[in-house]
Amino acid sequence: MAEGLSRRRLLQAGTLAAAGLGAGALAGCAPSGASRTTLQLWSAYAPAPQQDPNIVAQSDWFLDRLAAWNAANDRQIEAVYIPNYADPTNTRIATAFASGTGPDIFLISPGDFLRYYNGGALVDLAPYMTQEAIDDYFPQALATRRDGDGIYGLPMEQEPLAVFYNIPAFEEAGLSEGDIPTTWEDLLELGRRLTGGQQAGMVFETTPGYYQNFTFYPWIWQGGGDVIDAETQVPDFTSDAAVAALELFGEGVRSGASPRTLPANGDVVGAFTNGYAAMWQSGIWQVEAMRQNAPDHPYGVFPLPAPAGGEPTTVLGGWAWCVNSKGSDPEAAARFTVEVMGSMSAESINAGADWNGRFKGNIPARQSVLDAIGDDDIFADPILQKFRDEIYPTGRGEPRYPPVIYKAVSNALQAVQLAGADAAQQAEQAQRAIESYLETYDGGDLL
Amino acid sequence: MSTSTPVLARTAGRTQRSAHLAQQAKRERRAAWLFLLPDSLGLLVFVGLPMVLAIALGFFRVDGFGNIDFIGGANYVRMVGDPQFWSSVRITLIYLVTLVPLLFAVGLALALLVQQKFPFVGAVRSALFVPYAISLVVVAMVWQFMLGDRVGIVNQVLSWFGVEGTSFLGQPSLALATLVFVTLWFQMGYYMVIFLAGLQDIPGEYYEAARIDGAGAWQRFRAITFPLLRPTSFFVLITSTVAVITGGLDLVFIMTKGGPAGATSLLIYYIYEQAFLFGELGYAAAIGSTLIAVLLIWSGLMFLVTKGGRFDDGR
Repeated sequence: MAEGLSRRRLLQAGTLAAAGLGAGALAGCAPSGASRTTLQLWSAYAPAPQQDPNIVAQSDWFLDRLAAWNAANDRQIEAVYIPNYADPTNTRIATAFASGTGPDIFLISPGDFLRYYNGGALVDLAPYMTQEAIDDYFPQALATRRDGDGIYGLPMEQEPLAVFYNIPAFEEAGLSEGDIPTTWEDLLELGRRLTGGQQAGMVFETTPGYYQNFTFYPWIWQGGGDVIDAETQVPDFTSDAAVAALELFGEGVRSGASPRTLPANGDVVGAFTNGYAAMWQSGIWQVEAMRQNAPDHPYGVFPLPAPAGGEPTTVLGGWAWCVNSKGSDPEAAARFTVEVMGSMSAESINAGADWNGRFKGNIPARQSVLDAIGDDDIFADPILQKFRDEIYPTGRGEPRYPPVIYKAVSNALQAVQLAGADAAQQAEQAQRAIESYLETYDGGDLL
Repeated sequence: MSTSTPVLARTAGRTQRSAHLAQQAKRERRAAWLFLLPDSLGLLVFVGLPMVLAIALGFFRVDGFGNIDFIGGANYVRMVGDPQFWSSVRITLIYLVTLVPLLFAVGLALALLVQQKFPFVGAVRSALFVPYAISLVVVAMVWQFMLGDRVGIVNQVLSWFGVEGTSFLGQPSLALATLVFVTLWFQMGYYMVIFLAGLQDIPGEYYEAARIDGAGAWQRFRAITFPLLRPTSFFVLITSTVAVITGGLDLVFIMTKGGPAGATSLLIYYIYEQAFLFGELGYAAAIGSTLIAVLLIWSGLMFLVTKGGRFDDGR
């Protein structure tokens, strides 16, 4: 009897404990963003888990900004490190917003902008800024984060694309700076010449995704074309310029000038130092990557060559700080963001100069910051000067197209580049998909 | 009286015993349910409830920022008219009908091989199973390196035999076959172990009797091994189907991102893309619900074909 009771009680107690644990676990889920007392700033920078001095310096830049704010304000802000944040396929932020636990302040790239803006997730920062500070931003840097007079993100940097070339590969082929291509034909011809053995001649991005589209846009613009006409908001993907750009990527693979997959799994530094690539279209961030990982390896950059009769043009990427409209204290988060990124105070300008000119090696998004850096620190590097003086002035902000438009372009690009499809036919198909989507589209302007 | 009393006593005794047995069985059933309760609760909360919510979500437009609109069957209508959905269905079917029979055949063949006694058989079994113990993400990354266009070791080895190198992951015609190969390499060891367990369950007397009757190796396999592996075959068919459909995501995510030119855009990747890249959570849920339904139908069909893994005598 006593044994039976004991077993029953044991089972009852076990059941209750299990139920209690389950309920506790459910109740213990992360609090909603709106109920947090400490605001959160999500990024891939701070607090850095690595020991690399440059990464630690970038992390400290963020932590210093937070420390200064926290010392002067009741509403405290903490940094939350999100690994792999820069990968657009990282689902951490998307799932956090979907479950109502999104960060108060976060970094996004233009490709993601309209999803957050159209979802009503972004705070207008313009009311917190002075007109002088707004005018201090380069128009092309701010354009893709605006809607009317509203400013829904403050860019902290601009990252232009160029072609990086591997000097040992050039020297081995008997080439010099005088052989740097200036037209598409020259680029493909040189790519073919430099392809052989383990070496790929000219690497265009091949992996489908937002990044591939980002690398593709400037080639359309160079011929005067576009995906969507910014003025009329009408799709323009069947233009000669767009078809020619598709053909450029297709011809690269067909002719053997470009590889079908990325050498060294996409690592430019590894590919250059191991002789796996001679030329590679990539961004200004590779300068810092080369400096950190292969400081003695000789390389150069040149602007993206233009088609016959076209204008040299590049695309400008970069992160912007945004504030979650459904966060726990959007006003405090907006004041903090503007104080760090968008004020005319010496602290704000110096912070921008430190970030772009000392720790990151980017083109700043503001004139005052660019002036403050001058030729000091990182910009003493002739390659970064080339980016700043020659390549950046031809730049246009990364488009902020919603997923359906991105996918239509991506499908066409992949089909022409890797499946040998007809460029005009693919452009037509993408155009129809975009037109159909825009019939019911209701959101921010497509730039 | 003298005769009926013992009969009544026996009857009463039997009634008492059967009542006692019934009570004991009832207690055991209750205990069994209680022991099952924690796991059932977990299953209900973390599998059943999300599944029901996902099915419900399929009837809403959800943008991932707290805006939810009921749109009835619009997501399903969109799915039917979505050429990329159908392309993903086609690719998934090719992947499935290629891989599941391959996993079945190779798993069984390897099990039959390592069931034999030969030197270092233990080491061979371990070597074949080891890939399954590695993280699939690591498997994908290692194979991506090995299959590299110009510098991958696979192309280097092929060049030793005079075969010109190719782009395994950059050619639409090869990319899916490459994924099939890598998945097979990764999972075959697991199914080998499952089949090995099934083979070791078959009594040796059956084979001895068959040998005495003069049955050859093929006849023994056809008449004894294969039929008696029915429960194992049922398990392998169901689990390999589910593993192939859901496990493909990691490989595609790391190795191809659905490319080149959509050649490896499996349905599970398309669902992921819609939900997390495009923020189309309702549409992704609608496709996911359809996938659940298809998997349930497939499991039912397999149940019928293999008689649920049971034998004719009900075992």
